[in-house]
Amino acid sequence: MSGDYGIDELMVAALAREMPNDTRAFNGAASFMPVCAFMLARETHAPDLVWVASSIAVDPSPPRIPESTLSDALWDGASMLHSSAFDFWWYAQNGRLNSFCFRGAQIDAHGNVNNTVIGPYATPKVRLPGGGGMADLSCQVPRVYLWSTTHTPRVFVETLDFRSGMGWGDGPGHRERLGLEGGPRLVVTNLCVMDFPPETRRMRLRSVHPGVTVDDVRAATGFEVQVDGDVPTTPEPTREEVEIIRRIDPTDMRKRELAGG
Amino acid sequence: MSKLETMDEAAGRVVDGSTVAIGGLLMNGAPMEFCRALARRGAKDLTVVAIVAGPSVDWLVAGGCVRRAIIGLVSMEGFGLAPHFRRAAERGEIDVEEWSEHTIICGLQAAAARLPFMPTKAGLGTDMPGLHPERTEVVEHPRGTYLACGPIRPDVAVVHVHEADVNGNCRVLPKLVWMDSELVKAADTVVATTERVVPERTFRAAPERTTYPGFTVDAVVEAPLGAYPTSLFPWHGYDGAFVTEYLAACRDPETFAPFWRDRVMDPEDGPALVDANGGAATLLRIRSAGGTA
Repeated sequence: MSGDYGIDELMVAALAREMPNDTRAFNGAASFMPVCAFMLARETHAPDLVWVASSIAVDPSPPRIPESTLSDALWDGASMLHSSAFDFWWYAQNGRLNSFCFRGAQIDAHGNVNNTVIGPYATPKVRLPGGGGMADLSCQVPRVYLWSTTHTPRVFVETLDFRSGMGWGDGPGHRERLGLEGGPRLVVTNLCVMDFPPETRRMRLRSVHPGVTVDDVRAATGFEVQVDGDVPTTPEPTREEVEIIRRIDPTDMRKRELAGG
Repeated sequence: MSKLETMDEAAGRVVDGSTVAIGGLLMNGAPMEFCRALARRGAKDLTVVAIVAGPSVDWLVAGGCVRRAIIGLVSMEGFGLAPHFRRAAERGEIDVEEWSEHTIICGLQAAAARLPFMPTKAGLGTDMPGLHPERTEVVEHPRGTYLACGPIRPDVAVVHVHEADVNGNCRVLPKLVWMDSELVKAADTVVATTERVVPERTFRAAPERTTYPGFTVDAVVEAPLGAYPTSLFPWHGYDGAFVTEYLAACRDPETFAPFWRDRVMDPEDGPALVDANGGAATLLRIRSAGGTA
């Protein structure tokens, strides 16, 4: 399709296409795009995908996405409600749940994330929410997907002010030394899609969105992005994908992330 | 002997300088009435333990109650940062002891099990353990590397539930406790604030629905709408309109002072607080938000 879609729909589709059929995912707070992506993937190429809404409700099919991705309005039609968000930590640690998405105020080339402070920890310029579950799940869950609706040099930085979430750490071998499985697979931003080749575990440009150039991405990134040869254009979402996204999120909650970052 | 107490009596169990754990998760299920009671009593120098918190910690900080916060995360979720927590941390008025969601749970479990630490892989490779090496230590064991989370043992834990009886039995509906169960296990004293006190026979008639047994709960306080403005699924959602107004009022001390007095602190109980924030229309709105569970 040409033109009749928004960047939000392109990002959701790009994220969803990366989720294989054996994805068993759960979502945290303020995670509209991941929730859209899980539901989209489930309705297209990944019918067996498991989604645990708010880490509470197993396989729901809500009529719409509420303003909180922790809200019980997201749990309609679930086959089970967990009694505690605590239960799911076990499933996260043993691989029964294998996928999680997060973002942060700062992201470095290795996919490590800061959501704790801007500036020194003891005397922060900005005190952010904190690592929350990201600090844990980035170690425990083998398939991590990062997303960001604000691809700028302030977000994609060479050096984090604080490492709240573990990506590929200091580079190849770091996670293995700590006994951590997997790691970040993909970064979907409002400009491009990036991955982490095993040799460097630094972000490599995999595709640029329609209308975006490689130089645009370089200028918007505070570290040197790896570019191997010709970079393809991110496929546009199909008409079917766009229709499904608009059906599962009729009140456009996913677009909120574009305004707020 | 009945465990029923007034809100003020129960809040008095939290002595200045002690450690209090607050239940709930972000905009959901927090014992907000208890937080107001602490602020009203002028509680001081508290260490607050909150796994993933929002308005609860922000109100305690706004009320001048907090010296130290042991937290995994504090924010108003999609609405923005928690303004008082943020400002106090930036100005150095409170110490923030940074943990994370699962590592706090591990610390609480270590306390509950009377163990020196609970091991986990959570937090490895991050900057968090280095902030408090006396409490969290990365250990290279022959069988693998782990983070040893030292005990977090609250003097008092406070959770909000749907129903309780005079013996301390508590019921959370349908059964969602967020992570409150970990606070209940770890604390020396447990206070349950409850939407309503029900007869003991209600529990005996359906014991499979009891969430916390009476012997783990030391005090019960009847506090209808005691989680407002956070949610209490499935009975009501959170009040997003209130949070939006609260955040706007927080931008300026001159607008905040009357807001804090009239819309947060002065109303004497949960129903009065709701009355001060829209009354019946607000109730209708939050009761129709969510409610699918």
